[in-house]
Formats: sequence, C-alpha cells, structure tokens
Amino acid sequence: MTRPTPKDVKAIAHTADLPADDEVANRIANSIGPAFDGFAPVSGTLPMDLEPASFLLAQLAQKTGKVAT
Amino acid sequence: MSTEPALMTLMAVAKAIAEKKVSSREVTRAVLHRIAQWQPRLNAYMAIESEQALAAADAADADLAKGNSHGALHGVPMAHKDMYYDAGKVVTCGSLIRRDFVPKTTATALQRLKDAGQVRLGSLQMVEFAFGPTGHNVHYGAVHNPWNADHITGGSSSGSGSAVAARLTFAALGSDTGGSIRMPAHFCGVTGLKTTVGRVSRAGAMPLSQSLDTVGPLAQTAEDCALLLGLMAGADPEDLTASTQPVPDYLAATRETLKGAKIGVPTAFYVDDLDAEVARVLDETIETLRKEGAEIVKVELPDQRQLSAASQLVLAAESAAFHKRWMIERPQDYGAQVLMRLQNGLAIPAVSYLEAMRWRGPALAAHNAAVSGVDAVIAPVGPIPAPTIVESDVGNGPGAEAVIQRLTRFTRPVNYLGLPSLAIPSGFTKTGLPVGMQLIGRSFEEAVLLRIGAAFQRATDFHARVPKLA
Repeated sequence: MTRPTPKDVKAIAHTADLPADDEVANRIANSIGPAFDGFAPVSGTLPMDLEPASFLLAQLAQKTGKVAT
Repeated sequence: MSTEPALMTLMAVAKAIAEKKVSSREVTRAVLHRIAQWQPRLNAYMAIESEQALAAADAADADLAKGNSHGALHGVPMAHKDMYYDAGKVVTCGSLIRRDFVPKTTATALQRLKDAGQVRLGSLQMVEFAFGPTGHNVHYGAVHNPWNADHITGGSSSGSGSAVAARLTFAALGSDTGGSIRMPAHFCGVTGLKTTVGRVSRAGAMPLSQSLDTVGPLAQTAEDCALLLGLMAGADPEDLTASTQPVPDYLAATRETLKGAKIGVPTAFYVDDLDAEVARVLDETIETLRKEGAEIVKVELPDQRQLSAASQLVLAAESAAFHKRWMIERPQDYGAQVLMRLQNGLAIPAVSYLEAMRWRGPALAAHNAAVSGVDAVIAPVGPIPAPTIVESDVGNGPGAEAVIQRLTRFTRPVNYLGLPSLAIPSGFTKTGLPVGMQLIGRSFEEAVLLRIGAAFQRATDFHARVPKLA
C-alpha cells in the first residue's frame, strides 16, 4: 500500500467533484499519509472470502465474560 | 456525598426528588444558579433555557404530587451535546452550517431519557460536527476546562465534559467516534462511557462515521453512567444497526466487588511515551484495583498502530462522504481545521476503505483472543494531561493532524474494534489537572466495566472533587 502523492490526491478529488489545488493536495497527502503507512502491513494480505460483516460475527462470537454480572 | 442539590450525583438527586426530599424546581434553580456563575468562564452551554426548564420542573413536581412519576429521571435537569435531534429545538452540531437547523424528530437515545422524566436545561457546546479532540470551535469559541480555564476540555464532547465537571448538569450525552467521550472525561475529571458499537441507537444523532459512531454518557460516577445506559440501550426500529442483544442490569453490576476480577495491563503501546504524571497515575490506579481485590496480569495486545491507521482510513472516508454536499456548496462555512480533516477523505480510494472495513472482523477476533484471560484492560485515555488552549490551537497548519493523532493515540484503536471503554477519574497532576484511565472491555460487556469502575470509585474520591470558581 502506497501513500497517495499530491498528484494522486488531485486526481481522486477531481473524480469526487471536489477539485483540490496544489496547496490542499499537498496538505491532504501529508495528513493522511501516515495512515496509509500504518495500514500497509495489512493491505493486500486479506483473504478473498472475507466480508466486512465478519466484524458482527466477531462481536457475537466472543466468549462471555469471566465475571458474572 | 453532598446535600447541596446541584452537587449531588445523578443517582442521589433522582432519589431525592422521587422521595420528595427536594423538588425539581429547587434542583433546577440550583443548577441554573451555577450555570449563571460558571458559563461566562467556561462557555460550556450552547443554549440555556431557564424559563422553560423551570416550567418543566414545576410540571414534574405537580405530576409527582399527584403520584405520577415518569421514570428514573423524573424531574432531573440535564443538558446534552448539541448534536442530538430534539424535535422543534435548534440543534447546531457546533457548526455554522446548522446554526438554524430545527429537526422534526427526536434522537432515540434522547427520547428514552425524556421518557424517563428528565428536564431539559438547554444544550451543550461541542466541536464543529464532532470532528476534533481538543474542544476548540471557531464559530462558538473554545470551551474551557473548569479545573484551569487556560486548558482545553478535550473534544468533541467539550461542553459535556466541562459542564459535568463544574456540576452544571447531572449528566450529559456525548458521542465517541475517535475518543470524543473519553478525552473530555480524562481532561475534565469525569466518568465517561464509550459504548459498544450497536449498543445504543444512533437514530437522530448527527452522524460522523457510521461504522465508528457511538452514543454514551458523561457523568460524575460509574453508577450514574449505569443508570443512563440502562435507559438508553437496546434495539430500535429507527436504527437497525442497534443490537438486539439483551440489556443487562447495569446498576446491579455496580454493586459488586472486585473479588475475582482479572484486569490486564498492556505490555506495550499504551504504556509507551507517557507523561510522567500520567504514568504515575496509571501505577497508582493499578495498585488501588489490586488492593480492592482484582488480579492484575500483563496482556500482550496485537499491533495497535495498525488498528489506529485503519480507524483513520474509515473515519476519513465516511466523514467526507457525509459532508460531500456541503464541502461542494459551502466550504467557506466550515472551520479551517474541520474542513482540512474532511478533505483528508478525498485521498482514500474505495479499495483502501473497504480493506480497512474487511479487516475489522479478524482484528477484533485477534483482540478477543489476546484478552481472553482477563475481564478488562486498563490503559491511559491519553498520553498527556490537558494542554493549554493556546498550545493546542493548531488550526489547519502543517502539523495539525500529527497533534490530533497524538492526543487520540490511545482511543482510536478502541473505536476501530467497536469495543466499550469506561474512562474514570484516576488522579490529578501536581498543578491540579485531572488524569483519567480507561477500562477497555469486550463487546457488549459494559456491565463488567461499570462494576470495576464503581468499585474503584468506592475506594477513591477523584470523581467527587469539585472545581472551585476562582
């Protein structure tokens, strides 16, 4: 996973109908870049069959707490 | 426990009104008096509705005289973050864009509190569109910390944290998408409960990120939070993402001891690069929990930096999608920092967003496996106590996002995993600023956290301290 360059940002923003000038594109790329870096170890490694809804399954699949309440 | 009406806990004042030891009018007048004293210093309220509040209090007293109680909050005056729709009332969402917005519906969480008898005092300040962790607001001014007005309250539930700490409301709804309940609880010295994603309906609550948004209370005590969560939690036909999981008796949980509880202390990340006073308070909190009967063990959590990064990608993409129309039509009406953060979402390709969403299930499963031997994990809410308003006023400068990410470093992973987390007042710095710790639990196990928090608060008095009006 590669962090977007200001040029990438300009292209994506254009397709979203929200054109970004050079200054804004630079700022966005610098701001969000670390998130791309942080997620890079995960990106591209997920199995094909994995659905976003697996989160709900994980919420309910956990064992009940050890402490009775 | 204080017998001065405005200083009572939510539980105590509700009981006193129900038993007619004090009237709703007396309580409401006492709170309005404090609001008049503190508001010029704190800017915690967005709107103060004194006359309407007193009229509602009189009606509550009249009903009670006839033997008609509306519920557990009968006659208790409260105000909430100004993002909960209340039909017919202006709900600004802390923004210029919605300065005159009057919703036609009422948020489910708020309606359930109204059904239980609460009296509306007005509405509380917040960060513009709930998108910021400091409490600054370029449209309505920064909210000030009651413990030292030069310092931030934290955000985005800035008014909620400030008002509860100064005893200007007995409790307040906040919302937590990246730390917005826990940060103000930490900085202002109050108890704040970030609920499990899906535990409380989000219908009628201003959206920021549909995958991460949660509704929860800030109050003096864990017991107060338990009362409010019990009233608000549960399925809602207006929000099909609200869970049908049973709602346990949260108040009963707060009466249990810590005997047999096992609490995990992370071996990394949450204990790294801490301010010295935050580190001291963490150690002292762990020691208190141990003395109260909890077993303390080390836990090795999965890499929290990846969770944090994933939460940023999800939040950026979803918030930009919600705001796209106004970003096109009214960009000049946003504060510079909020617009900058919304613009970040423009850089997220759909595939990256969906990868972050698809990883959520395996990430939660891995976390559950890591904490399978403990009832909760304890960690600081933030690495530092409240900075000053001036030093954290970073606007949309080049380092702004880095400052924001540092403040919310310990809260964002919890949002990504959708877990509940209870922030509890745990100590003070030498200069008198509060420090809070968070108890992080498993999905839908708020009762476990409230049990631990209540036991801790029976052994300490940090939650009961009241700031003085200098």
